Amino acid sequence: MTRSMRISALVLGAALVAAACGPAGTTLPPASGGPAASAGGSAPAESVAPGAGGTLNVLSLWGGSEEEAFKAVLADFTAKTGINVNYEADRQTYSTTLQSRITGGNPPDIAIIPGIGFLRRFAKDGSLKKLSDMGVDAAALAENYPEGFLGAGTVDGEAYAIPAKYNNKGTMWYRPDVYTANGVTNPTTWDEFKAALDANVGKPGAMSLGAKDDWNLTDWFENIYIRQAGVEAYDKLFGPDGDWTDPTVQTDVNTMLEVINDKYVVGGIDAAVGRAWTDAIAQVFKPDPEASTFYEGGFVGGIATGQTNPDLVIGETIDWYPFPTLGNTEDVTTFGGDVVGALTDSDAAKAFLQYVTTAEANAVWAGTGAIVSPHKGVPTSAYPNELVVREAESLNNAAAIRYDGADLLPAGIAGEGLGALLQRAIRGDTIDWADFQTRVKAAWDAE
Amino acid sequence: MEATQPGGIDAMVEPTLKAPVAKPPGRRNDRSTLLFLGPAGLLLAVFLVYPAIYTILLSFNRGRRGEFTEWVGLDHYISLLTGDKSFLDLTQFPPEGAIWNNVLWAVFYTSIVIFIGLVVAVLASRVRYESVIKAVVFLPMAIAATALAIIWNFVYAPDANIGLLNAILAPVTERGISWLGNPSLVNAALIGAGIWGSVGFATVILSAALKSIPSEILEAARVDGASERQVFFGIIIPMVSLPISVLAVTLLVNVVKLFDLIYVMTNGGPGTKSRVIAFTMYFESIPGGQFGRGAAVAVIMLILLIPIMAYNIRRFRSSRVT
Repeated sequence: MTRSMRISALVLGAALVAAACGPAGTTLPPASGGPAASAGGSAPAESVAPGAGGTLNVLSLWGGSEEEAFKAVLADFTAKTGINVNYEADRQTYSTTLQSRITGGNPPDIAIIPGIGFLRRFAKDGSLKKLSDMGVDAAALAENYPEGFLGAGTVDGEAYAIPAKYNNKGTMWYRPDVYTANGVTNPTTWDEFKAALDANVGKPGAMSLGAKDDWNLTDWFENIYIRQAGVEAYDKLFGPDGDWTDPTVQTDVNTMLEVINDKYVVGGIDAAVGRAWTDAIAQVFKPDPEASTFYEGGFVGGIATGQTNPDLVIGETIDWYPFPTLGNTEDVTTFGGDVVGALTDSDAAKAFLQYVTTAEANAVWAGTGAIVSPHKGVPTSAYPNELVVREAESLNNAAAIRYDGADLLPAGIAGEGLGALLQRAIRGDTIDWADFQTRVKAAWDAE
Repeated sequence: MEATQPGGIDAMVEPTLKAPVAKPPGRRNDRSTLLFLGPAGLLLAVFLVYPAIYTILLSFNRGRRGEFTEWVGLDHYISLLTGDKSFLDLTQFPPEGAIWNNVLWAVFYTSIVIFIGLVVAVLASRVRYESVIKAVVFLPMAIAATALAIIWNFVYAPDANIGLLNAILAPVTERGISWLGNPSLVNAALIGAGIWGSVGFATVILSAALKSIPSEILEAARVDGASERQVFFGIIIPMVSLPISVLAVTLLVNVVKLFDLIYVMTNGGPGTKSRVIAFTMYFESIPGGQFGRGAAVAVIMLILLIPIMAYNIRRFRSSRVT
């Protein structure tokens, strides 16, 4: 071996080592700097003057029309403040990406956070900044947002996130043309609902279900629970003191089985557990429907009219009525949505949080038709279609609204989660609620 | 899946290279040895040894945020192996849980892939359009595992107007079969998709191995009056046994770290019926945020891989000696 070969090997080796160590070395420090940074940020924040410049990194889970709508908001933000935005969207592996970036010490400035279990985890970890440290005026927030919504961004009495967009989860989607043809009027009670399904069986079919996406089942469970057991019981069940061995839980499942069964679900339960929920939407809203009713949140409208069948006509081939009442006749419902939180206390992040809480920003957003804004300052005229206006109104007028319960549960339930368990329940398995209770309790205690 | 294949191919080629290897010229200079091992050693230390040790330590820890927060000893292991029916359920027969599903995969996926691969390789070698057959069978290898999973999601869809398989079966079945929604079918369906994706690999490897059998041996056997069956079982199989065992090891390693197919096709469901070990590792760590628990699953996975690796290393050593 010649000397020059040795030297080149040495150089190559050194280059490899440098390449290997470089990124790791630069990303290490912030992991331990997180809490310190938040302590530093507790000084009274000053609002950022327009034209301050800089760059804002945003991580979101929104794609497609939701992303376009949000980008319209971001463009307006850049125009008003001069801050450029790096937008990064990751729908499938959102939680992985966000968790990795936090663990790796490279968090985005702003994150769109789905699910309150997540919010709680990042808040307790100290990854999320408190709104009070970000210069957001708590009094103004309380004035502009309904109480139920702000609760969705609060952990242990401390506000960490702002509700960005929401969907009513108490919407029963249906085919008005099929209902009319079968002489069915929109049901309001559970018994009327079952009668309506009866009337539609085989003409062309009662209900579609895509339970492969098990969150469809948890949504069923929650919406029955809040109406059957009541708001107070709902708060307790999905909180740290929840008791899953309580008889109301099994009663809820039994009630679910009254409609989620081989008689009403098109194709049978076996097929439903293997069906994607978007395929179930198609069963109702394609040009030649196989079923006439599909339950899921307000976002079904956008998917059905935007992707499944653009020829749908509101009021003729697509519409929704409120989830039928059960026992408790009070006007209550659940909602789901995403919240906006800050993971750094950069000036750009502060400016953005202030911006998204303004009525103007929310009106820009609402105008895209992609979202329903919880901001009270957004007039109904800002919304582009009637389905969305009614969705917003039904939530704003409800006696009580509660956040999607499955998203309130701790993320770290060991083994089988609620959705997986309900997949078995609708197949007729007996559920060991005591076992589930043990695991949920352990997850709450571990938080 | 793909990651191990280059190694697999190398391993396959190696035994057939009978050329004598030059003997090391006496004792080497220690310093230059270090110099050459250094970069590789350092890379291994940074990307393999350190993460492995970190993971092992983390598995004894609560591990919030993936950091060392609270020592919990063997808690994760005890709860995983005795208290988590979705991971291991020995209370019934046949057992259930992620570990058991991996056993099913190891047995059926590995054996069927090798069997079909061998059959296709042998049959294809006897026809003129061999290369066409091999190209077609190998095609799924060019598809990313995620794409493969999405394709099979459509194939298995329960409604005949979406699902290819149910459309084919429609004349004989009353209503569509829920391949991925029925707990007793889901693992078989997933293994079927996995087999489809790997048979091409086995075919190509085994086909190459068949080609390396000297034709004189086969001719001699036939001249001596051996039937085709005797030639196949008495000569061909023994002569490709080494490639088969290498292939089996590669496929077994694929099984233990199997994740993508499950994640995309069923997300472990229905219930938790189709979870496998690697899926559980992901599920506990990322969506669950239980990094310590996830690390414990990873360590269990590592322990399961050790015998396979030990076998592999021993076989390499023995093949070098001969």
